[in-house]
Amino acid sequence: MARRVLVLVGLLVAGCASTGQVSLGEVREFADASVRLGGYAELSRRYRDTYERESPYLSPQAERVARDTDARRRAVFDDFVAIQKTLVLYMQTLSLLAGDGRYDLSGRIDDLGTGLKAMTDSGLQQRHVAAYTGMSRLLTRVITSRYQNRSVDTMVRDGNADVQTLIDAMIVLTRIYEKANENERKTVLGLFNAEIPMANRNTDRMLVTLAKVHLQNKTAEYKLIDRRYKLAQQGLTKVALGHQKMRENMDKLSSEETRHMLAGYVHDLNLIRDALSGE
Amino acid sequence: MATSSHSNPDPASDDANTTPPVTMPRQQAAAGEHDVDGAARTNALSNMQCVVDLADSVVCIADDLHERILQEIAGYNDRTMPDAQKALMRALTDDERLLRQYAHALYADAAEFVIRDLREPQHRLMALTAEAAEKIRRIGVIGEVTGLVGGILLLVGSIARGQFSQVGAALEKIQLHNATLKTLKPGSTAKT
Repeated sequence: MARRVLVLVGLLVAGCASTGQVSLGEVREFADASVRLGGYAELSRRYRDTYERESPYLSPQAERVARDTDARRRAVFDDFVAIQKTLVLYMQTLSLLAGDGRYDLSGRIDDLGTGLKAMTDSGLQQRHVAAYTGMSRLLTRVITSRYQNRSVDTMVRDGNADVQTLIDAMIVLTRIYEKANENERKTVLGLFNAEIPMANRNTDRMLVTLAKVHLQNKTAEYKLIDRRYKLAQQGLTKVALGHQKMRENMDKLSSEETRHMLAGYVHDLNLIRDALSGE
Repeated sequence: MATSSHSNPDPASDDANTTPPVTMPRQQAAAGEHDVDGAARTNALSNMQCVVDLADSVVCIADDLHERILQEIAGYNDRTMPDAQKALMRALTDDERLLRQYAHALYADAAEFVIRDLREPQHRLMALTAEAAEKIRRIGVIGEVTGLVGGILLLVGSIARGQFSQVGAALEKIQLHNATLKTLKPGSTAKT
């Protein structure tokens, strides 16, 4: 029986080739920064709710058209958000796969070592303990490092084209959201720009004052939101570029140059995220 | 671009000619549904761009109309505008806002084009993600194997040293790991 067990152990170890350490820290950080970016989901919701904000400013005839468009926006909203959810899930999984310490079994190995040390006291020789621990460490390293690296490589290589397509769709959608928002702004503010100068009777004074306050608030609101479309587009472009560069440099992921480049994308994405969340 | 047909009581008739092109590119895209992935996508995106351009030009007409209205109002300076003229200006701002709603409808059309043909890339990416999650799960399982190795080592050591009192515990450990391996069903620990 002992021999059969030894053969089994031998088979387990034989299946694992030795390898060097590859750092996937930058890949993980890039994937995490991509997940945290934000902007798109919020702007999708804003686009979906266009009618809600606009309806008080519409004539009955315009309102009829608006209601129809509103139903269509709501019908596709889930699809718009699904694109982002797919991308987030992909990036989260990539991050998990690239996680350095996530599958580090050194704790388990230490347990094993302790167990073996106990055995030493009862007769097992020190060199056996060292050999078994060493073998297990090799096994762990193969599992946690080379294996994961190969998986990250496969994922980035096989996923890149679709990642690019989805991000491109998100950027194009964000541009359409931006255009729709501009059209909305002109609908809302335009009404006041025309009505305020026409209301110059004494009895209109209170109404005009209130209208001016409302106009001021609305102008400020649109000014704030305008920036967000550009920031979201910049962020998505960075994610697309970063993934593309990662794909191109997969074979030299550990090189100083590649790591520096990925760190640069992470830095930019964090700045954009801060700008998006700092409003 | 503001026309002199300001008094037109039915502005919809003016705008009617902007609606047919909305459905036209849709039909073109539907005809290309059986194209290969990339070609269909390019087709959808070029149709999308046509609709966006159309929407932009409707916005442009609305902008011009708005400018024209403001000029007309500004022409009165501080003089009070006659009620009839005010009614006309209001009818025109209604026209402007109706135009903007048609532009909105076109933007909604364009947005629908963007997600057309995205199902395939999305499905492929989801499958890839699921595959990676499965790999992560397997890494976890191999981790269990490492534990199994530990158990085997203990067993081997015990047998080698003739310490049979340890064999029972070691066997129990191995059985536990085996049970763990068997109960790990595909996808049960996939992080989603």
